[in-house]
Amino acid sequence: MKYANLLRMTATTALLATAAAETSVAQETSTMRVRINADIRSTDPGVNRDANSDAVVLHMVEGLVGYRDDASVAPLLAKSIDMSADGKTYTFKLRDGLKFSNGEPLTSADVLSSWQRYTDPKTAWRCLKDVTGSGVANVTNVAAPDASTVVFTLEKPTALFLATLARTDCGGTGIYHKSSLDAEGKWVKPIGTGPFMLQEWRSGQYVQLAANPNYISPGGERTGYVGDKTPKIDAVRFMIVPDDAAAKAALYSGDIDVIADVNNADIEELTGNEQIKVDKTAAMGLTALLFQTRDPLLKDVRIRKAVLLSLDLPQIAEALTNGQAPASASVVPGPSPYSGAAQKEVPARNVEEAKKLLADAGYNGQPIKWLTTKHYPSLFDAAVLVQAMAQEAGINIEVETLDWATLLDRYTTGNYSAMSFTYSARLDPSLSYDMVSGNKDKSPNKVWDNPEGLELIAESTTITDQAQRQAIFDKLEGMIREDVPLIPLYSGTRIGAVRSNVEGYKTWPVGYARMWGVSFAPGN
Amino acid sequence: MHALSKYIAKRLLWTLPTLLIVAVMVFFLVRMIPGDPAQLILGDGASPEEVASLRTDLGLDQPVPVQFVYWLGNVIQGDLGQSISNGAAVLPLMLDRFQVSATIVLVAVGLATLIAIPAGLIAAWRQNDHVDIAVVAVSTLLMSVPSFWLGLVLLLAFGLKLGWLPVVGFVPFTENPWTAITYVILPVVTLMLIEVGVLTRMMRASAIEILRLEYVMHARAKGLSERKVLLRHVLPNAFAPTWTMIGLVLGGLLGGIAVLETVFTLPGLGRLLVDAIFARDYPVVQGCLLFTAVIYVIVNLIVDLCYPLFDPRVTAS
Repeated sequence: MKYANLLRMTATTALLATAAAETSVAQETSTMRVRINADIRSTDPGVNRDANSDAVVLHMVEGLVGYRDDASVAPLLAKSIDMSADGKTYTFKLRDGLKFSNGEPLTSADVLSSWQRYTDPKTAWRCLKDVTGSGVANVTNVAAPDASTVVFTLEKPTALFLATLARTDCGGTGIYHKSSLDAEGKWVKPIGTGPFMLQEWRSGQYVQLAANPNYISPGGERTGYVGDKTPKIDAVRFMIVPDDAAAKAALYSGDIDVIADVNNADIEELTGNEQIKVDKTAAMGLTALLFQTRDPLLKDVRIRKAVLLSLDLPQIAEALTNGQAPASASVVPGPSPYSGAAQKEVPARNVEEAKKLLADAGYNGQPIKWLTTKHYPSLFDAAVLVQAMAQEAGINIEVETLDWATLLDRYTTGNYSAMSFTYSARLDPSLSYDMVSGNKDKSPNKVWDNPEGLELIAESTTITDQAQRQAIFDKLEGMIREDVPLIPLYSGTRIGAVRSNVEGYKTWPVGYARMWGVSFAPGN
Repeated sequence: MHALSKYIAKRLLWTLPTLLIVAVMVFFLVRMIPGDPAQLILGDGASPEEVASLRTDLGLDQPVPVQFVYWLGNVIQGDLGQSISNGAAVLPLMLDRFQVSATIVLVAVGLATLIAIPAGLIAAWRQNDHVDIAVVAVSTLLMSVPSFWLGLVLLLAFGLKLGWLPVVGFVPFTENPWTAITYVILPVVTLMLIEVGVLTRMMRASAIEILRLEYVMHARAKGLSERKVLLRHVLPNAFAPTWTMIGLVLGGLLGGIAVLETVFTLPGLGRLLVDAIFARDYPVVQGCLLFTAVIYVIVNLIVDLCYPLFDPRVTAS
């Protein structure tokens, strides 16, 4: 009898527990689970951030402007932007009826207070140097003449001011409510105007955002970070899954609904699965081969050109991306509106010409140490392919594999002969050329040290006319190709994969997951 | 009891120089690895000035010996510092992650022990016949299989193909015990299978040695049943070396099961350490390794203190 009671109690407990678990699952049916490969660093926009942090934070805060799908800039919290004739003054009119997620109205005072904190060096905002001092957009004054108007005054006109405000690594210069900070001014959590708000951050496990009930949509087409961003799900959970294989298995099993960035090698398998939908688009990053132009051997441009001519760039891009991205021999990414004929041209392989250049340079098979990493498998594969192709021209490359942190350190200090490297997305060509150009004495991480080129880059940031800018970029392209400080390989493809019951998800060149406007199919 | 207290105090006192050596080695070795945490935080677009400024903010511009003295002073006061990556206090972060690793390790090793002891004992008793060969073959196979491979196979079978168990995620027991169990079954089973192999081989080898001793022959000659011989005379004596092995296994695994934690997406101590190494998050790396050393010492002390339970000849004195 005693055992019968015990059994009955156990069964009842198990049933109750099962029921509780099922209820819990039912409550979470409109929670969409998105994979991120590492924990976020913070929820403070543009502060102590990385790509995962940006992706999450930009669901909660919005800035005055934001990117469209094509990486052009459009108003977000602003309803209009007026630039003065001299290009130094920008007047932003805020949208009507804006509210933070806590229900408080957003006014120009909030823009001012957010800006003041961003430009306080103690905040360590990522983009401080860009909007102060000798930055690309030195803001000398910010004023709020009325509750819905903010006026930014710049030291000099620049084409990059709005793009800088919109940058994802700047946290979109998101405007937040004062209650995002505690009484001592320390960051607590973002109270923004985005379509979602922070619900729970469980370190090492997930970050859960709930739909913002006070979200005010500007209407219009959903594109990039602008347009109608109304949430169609109750919550989104960014789940930390470091292992790619585990993430893929979780997508198959239904434990994850969205992977924003799957490997090129997996696309065939994913496309063949009827439970999975795949969406891809050209990306804005850059994978490239870098030369140290102060290296005793590689300072001779003929040897650098010989390496370039020994390579079959389309074949390398085909192999490294599983045919998902074409070769791109320019630092300006393919999707950019400034990727013209000069940027799109890909040099053909010419082994005989390479051999001739090497002979002229007196190259006798001296080894070239080529650094790479397996942290990004494509960088390692690139080094191996380059080694094999260059060998046909008689170039002796020795591949050395390092961990990512060490490779980044060697890149930063310029302590290398040659390396495979990957750059994060730059959404304006001025920034793309600037990314690789600079005075090596001051910035050893720069690969192209050409004073004339630097002047042209600086000039490109002050001009807003697209045709004039294109002319400058074409000239820069010719100069940088003549010097061969690097060999761009491809700008890549962003591939997103979602469960078949997920509707409205769209991959875009910037690459971060965007969970507004996304829903589960009816009946799921 | 007095002798036992003195013994424990003495052992704990002896751990201090060990921990100091660990602290010194960890602190200086981790800084010898190339790579700059400030550069990693700021990414490829950072200027040298920005990197230098962040290094100053993080206190990394100070001479390494100065950093060490400062860190050690704080450690003595129980403050292991803050993570460079996300600013979280290291000690609570580690303890939080340790709970996850410890739960899985203790359950897996406990179950492995329950399987390995009888399996090893029976294999030794039936040495060289088909039962022994089967036990040795299975345990050797389990020892040889890489944990990540076994984990992935189980994950594919029970998570993906059969759909019985979740593939990724973790729920604390305190939140929902029933759901929590479903999340830890696969990592526990994977770890248990690996450790069953190790412990079975150990138990079998010990039992074979004991079975050859004269007092076992004497017990059999007295007419005791084989069951009594095994349980009363062989098991307690053969278990002592296995117990030592259990201590070593526990000490090693409680420091984190990074590979399994990565495969099963568990927020454990091992993954925290690996992530911190890749991020050059010095305070977390130092904290985790120091904590692991402390755990190792404590586990082995507990193992030593348990010896008198199995072997009355062993005393604290």
